[in-house]
Amino acid sequence: MAGPEADSQFQFTGIKKYFNSYTLTGRMNCVLATYGGIALLVLYFKLRPKKTPAVKAS
Amino acid sequence: MNENLFTSFSTPTLMGLPIIIMIIAFPALLYPTSNRLISNRIRTLQQYLINLILKQMMAIHSPKGRTWSLMLMSLIIFIASTNLLGLLPHTFTPTTQLSINLGLAIPLWAGAVILGFRYKFKTSVSHFLPQGTPILLIPMLIIIETISLFIQPMALAVRLTANITAGHLLMHLIGAATLALFSISTSTALITFIILLLLTMLEFAVALIQAYVFTLLVSLYLHDNT
Repeated sequence: MAGPEADSQFQFTGIKKYFNSYTLTGRMNCVLATYGGIALLVLYFKLRPKKTPAVKAS
Repeated sequence: MNENLFTSFSTPTLMGLPIIIMIIAFPALLYPTSNRLISNRIRTLQQYLINLILKQMMAIHSPKGRTWSLMLMSLIIFIASTNLLGLLPHTFTPTTQLSINLGLAIPLWAGAVILGFRYKFKTSVSHFLPQGTPILLIPMLIIIETISLFIQPMALAVRLTANITAGHLLMHLIGAATLALFSISTSTALITFIILLLLTMLEFAVALIQAYVFTLLVSLYLHDNT
């Protein structure tokens, strides 16, 4: 960490304003977004309906 | 031979009762206390040494971090004295037990991390992403940093356990080898004995260094989070 980070020294626009690896807020949002993405993935695989194979008529 | 090598690491019992709590509490008896401001020479030397370590270790901390001074000083003195006492023959060293080291490492690490998340949430979370990371590496690096955070207490505990246990084992083995070689070849036994002496000197240093490293790392985790 190079000293106190002044978010105001970086002027980003658009999505980079919220998701970048330079400002404190940007880094926090990236980290939270990654954790959120992993949580969504885990939820998706847990909750997706399991495909049961069709019963073959004998 | 194998049975003798590892019995020194088993939980000590006296007439069937475990006495490990007494062994852990024992080093505290070796440090005299007094209610006088200026006491005798031993107390003055003790205070001087503790002040020396205290100033060196707590200089980098903010006032909030310095509230942990008592905890960190107790920690370093406990680990250093336990390790040094373990170098005496036939003694039991609590810090060779992973359970005890985990019991020291996990609460201290967790305390520092929870403190960081409680009072400086944004800074603590942004630690997971180093500044200036390229965009494509961001998710991978966050996962790696998270894993490295959770490995910290394990590394603390295992580092101390492994260093002290390995040193004790080596001393046992080389001592047994010296004894066995004495009747076979005295000159080789003498060389092995010199190796044992050098190893013992190394173990003295390791005992103190490991205590210092443990406490320093806990203090660094605290510094990151205060």
